[in-house]
Amino acid sequence: MAREFDHLFKLLIIGDSGVGKSCLLLRFADNTFSGSYITTIGVDFKIRTLEINGERVKLQIWDTAGQERFRTITSTYYRGTHGVIVVYDVTNGESFANVKRWLHEIEQNCDVVNKVLVGNKNDCPSRKVVVTEDAQRFANQMNIPLFETSAKENINVEEMFLTITKMVLRSKLEMKERQNVTKDTVHLKNNIKTKKKCC
Amino acid sequence: MNHDEIKSVVQEKFLSSERVTAFLCDAKVLHPEWVKKDRLLAIVEFGDEKAVFCLFTSCYPPKSFTDLSIEIVLPIDKSFKCEIDNKPSDPEAILYLNLQSRSNKYKFEIQMTPRVDNFVDDLFRGIEAVNKVPTQPDFVWLKKYSGKINNDILTHTMALPGGVPHTQTSAPVAIRESLIKHKMSDKEYEYTFTKKFSIFCGTWNVNDKSPVIPLKGWLSVDREPPDIYAVGFQELDLSKETFLFDQTFREDEWYNAVLNFVDKRAKYVKVEKVRLVGMMLIVLIKAKHFSHVRNVVCDTVGTGIMGKMGNKGGVSIRFDLHSTSMCFVNSHLAAHVEEFERRNQDFRDICSRTRFVQPNQLPKAIKDHDHVYWLGDLNYRITELDPTTVKKLCNENNFVPVLEKDQLKQQHKLNNVFAGYIEGEINFKPTYKYDPGTDNWDSSEKNRAPAWCDRIFWRGQNIIQLGYRSHPSLNISDHKPVSAIFNSSIKIIDEEKYRKVYEEVIKQLDKMENELIPQVKVDRTEIDFETVRYLELQVRTITIKNIGKLPVEFEFIKKLDETSFCKEWLIVEPYKKCICAEETCEIQLKVLINKTSACKMNAGTDKLYDILVLHLYGGKDIFITINGTYQRSCFGCSIEVLVNLNMPIKEVPVGKLIELENKRDSCVSNQSTYSIPKEIWFLVDHIYLHGLKEPNLFEQPGFHSEILQIRDWLDSGSIDPIPGSIHSVAEALLLLLESTADPIIPYNLQSVCLRASANYLQCKQIIMELPEFRKNVFLYLCEFLQEALQHSAENGLDSKTLSTLFGAIFLRDNPNQTQEPQSRINKQVIDKKKAQFVYHFLVNDHSDLIFSR
Repeated sequence: MAREFDHLFKLLIIGDSGVGKSCLLLRFADNTFSGSYITTIGVDFKIRTLEINGERVKLQIWDTAGQERFRTITSTYYRGTHGVIVVYDVTNGESFANVKRWLHEIEQNCDVVNKVLVGNKNDCPSRKVVVTEDAQRFANQMNIPLFETSAKENINVEEMFLTITKMVLRSKLEMKERQNVTKDTVHLKNNIKTKKKCC
Repeated sequence: MNHDEIKSVVQEKFLSSERVTAFLCDAKVLHPEWVKKDRLLAIVEFGDEKAVFCLFTSCYPPKSFTDLSIEIVLPIDKSFKCEIDNKPSDPEAILYLNLQSRSNKYKFEIQMTPRVDNFVDDLFRGIEAVNKVPTQPDFVWLKKYSGKINNDILTHTMALPGGVPHTQTSAPVAIRESLIKHKMSDKEYEYTFTKKFSIFCGTWNVNDKSPVIPLKGWLSVDREPPDIYAVGFQELDLSKETFLFDQTFREDEWYNAVLNFVDKRAKYVKVEKVRLVGMMLIVLIKAKHFSHVRNVVCDTVGTGIMGKMGNKGGVSIRFDLHSTSMCFVNSHLAAHVEEFERRNQDFRDICSRTRFVQPNQLPKAIKDHDHVYWLGDLNYRITELDPTTVKKLCNENNFVPVLEKDQLKQQHKLNNVFAGYIEGEINFKPTYKYDPGTDNWDSSEKNRAPAWCDRIFWRGQNIIQLGYRSHPSLNISDHKPVSAIFNSSIKIIDEEKYRKVYEEVIKQLDKMENELIPQVKVDRTEIDFETVRYLELQVRTITIKNIGKLPVEFEFIKKLDETSFCKEWLIVEPYKKCICAEETCEIQLKVLINKTSACKMNAGTDKLYDILVLHLYGGKDIFITINGTYQRSCFGCSIEVLVNLNMPIKEVPVGKLIELENKRDSCVSNQSTYSIPKEIWFLVDHIYLHGLKEPNLFEQPGFHSEILQIRDWLDSGSIDPIPGSIHSVAEALLLLLESTADPIIPYNLQSVCLRASANYLQCKQIIMELPEFRKNVFLYLCEFLQEALQHSAENGLDSKTLSTLFGAIFLRDNPNQTQEPQSRINKQVIDKKKAQFVYHFLVNDHSDLIFSR
């Protein structure tokens, strides 16, 4: 029978202004790249459907304005998010330093949520200032997967989105399982009660 | 819950005399104003009368009759009409049922399930029955079901044009699904390759014989063992028992014989076997291909006696091999030399009546298959040549002149039978009629011309016939067996490529969906109002262009925890609108700092800064930043701040102003403070000197432009004379008094004042206890107003009017206090009390208060 998707997930892309959040989304959703920089003033979204282990997953990916002055407003868009993609620019040390703030922002506004850390613009070694080892150490410390990507050269973008989607899917399935287990436990307890009565 | 359990729940909704004869779950009513889903259609019978009920189910499946409510009642009377059509995008899964009774039309969407047939049959039985009786039934029993609500619904829907267009009602989900299907079939060649399969088709009318001879010479004569065997028999058993009870031991005999004599070099398994009386069709496939065979279905059609019996007709087997749908038909058409028209009719009947029913799909016909192989005793004869000539020519193997007279060749050429089918060249002797056990033509008295009764046709792309022959050595019957061998291209899906193409299609659809997300272009997202002055309206325009493909509805929406989408000093027009594709909309943003917002600006509790959220329905949000610098004015300052300012406000640093505002409550008089604000003094003094005799003083409004000039004059500390008319000055005075952060009489004393308003002494007491500067201003103004009243003959003022006017100013209502909505009378009483309070001070001498200072 007709079914459009089995799961609908909302992903959120956050990070400093100019790190390439919109470009990552454009690459992933439309497979295009535009060199001209248009800063995002607001929040935008695109959709993409993936098939993971035979399950159709529809992603609604929200791209947010990175500018400081919009931070309080954009934080209101965190609600109901299943996964967050925190982006920094490997050629911009400050954007990496701000990752902590963004992670804090997530903690303030979301319940348990899956995260990935993304160092974008990883296509020009001479301009790279955030070395992979530092980023990896930080990621390990925070227990977040790290991806170094280039939206421009289409490096690692697909893999990154696929990973966060799989993480979100796994959490959902685990949650379901846990609920089933609790149901079973309740069931068991009831059984025990009746047994006691019988005795 | 199974079907019967639901049925009993539905039955409970009705009286026991009203019987639910059929029902359908999961129906959707297509009505623009109703929830589309969760309908149940039931046919209910009372005596000879039937009606269709549409019930709304509050839960599915309904657990008790209370979960059901009757929504529509359509009596099946003479006006009742039922039309069925398919959903164009999904013809195999969704049906539309258009029901009309009297003047009510409804359209329902139903899922294609096997139950639908039952329901529709029952419906048509009802229609047939009602049209047989001469009189219109009265349907009295339905009256109780058409209560008021139903009547309303019925009359309401009468206005609707019948039938809702499909496009509006098809869910986007279904559109997407069918688009995927469509696109995938368009790209089929990208992910499929073909593989040749050899297919053996054989047919033999065995004339009631048992397989007493080996069949090897028929079934196993080719160089390579075929991939598929399709073997058809006719006249397996001519006994009456078989005809009447359709049972015969010959079935197993011949089936086993076939199994024994198929090519031994390969291993075969049965796909399916089907028999109707004497007609049997067996399909075998090489074991290694069996896992690629799916959806095997067979059907039989009798066209014999009465056009129904199984002595003649066709048996068929269909299945999918990889991605090619295949159908094999074995038929035995009407006998008798002259009856070619009957044979044509039998062919058409088999075509139209053969239906392969699969779960969740519309039944398939023979023509719905990629490859069709049709074999059998088709019984066409040769009538235009005399038997002797036929025999002579055939004995000489000169078949062409005989075949020209073959009824089947002639009828085929005329497209009267087997249109679209192909038959290979015949290079073998007629297969009928022989003396059994010999190769001699029939020697009976009838002396009929021999004929090619036993034939094989095919239909479909990429099928090549490699051989078409008869096998005369198998001579136990009066027919000779015939066979054909084909090399057919079967489509196979390359899973890897399929996945890639599928992903591509999904991506394409995603892209389309993304393109349908509303898109607009806003010409600017940062609006700077630059310098904004008190009471001076500033307007900026932004232009929104719809650059998407669909109309866009936008609205400025509230940010979290805020009560309004913008600050009180901002007006956005329009704040909500729909823009068609390619069109633009201008939005005006207006800033006005008035008496309520000015004091907040002065105190620094608000500033000219806001971020608006422009929301597109079904799309993104755009942030619009509003910026500006407020030029502070004496309007909106509190009395305590103004008395502290011994220079024009323009020259006071912003920080100092905010600091003064914040500690205004602790303000006391000292050497550097004025006893009343100089701005009030300037205005009052001007009126005192030049305007006390002005008619309609305080009643005639001033000019806005002059008031702005007076504002600038006050704020800049100009040494020029005050600009503007007396009325403008008077209005400026009132505005100044109204715009102070706190009223002259503080909010917390207001209720005390109102209670005391009848008692002058008490009123005096309150004034005595006012904060110092407020008291000064109050008494100063009252003195001035008493002076003005002295000239009432000229200026037309009276103490009542003035006390009402100034009562409202001195005892201003607190805008931040959410009051219980005042009734008009209540408000009048309060206004009266305010006026009364002030009145005392306009008519009594209160110089004692001033001296007490």
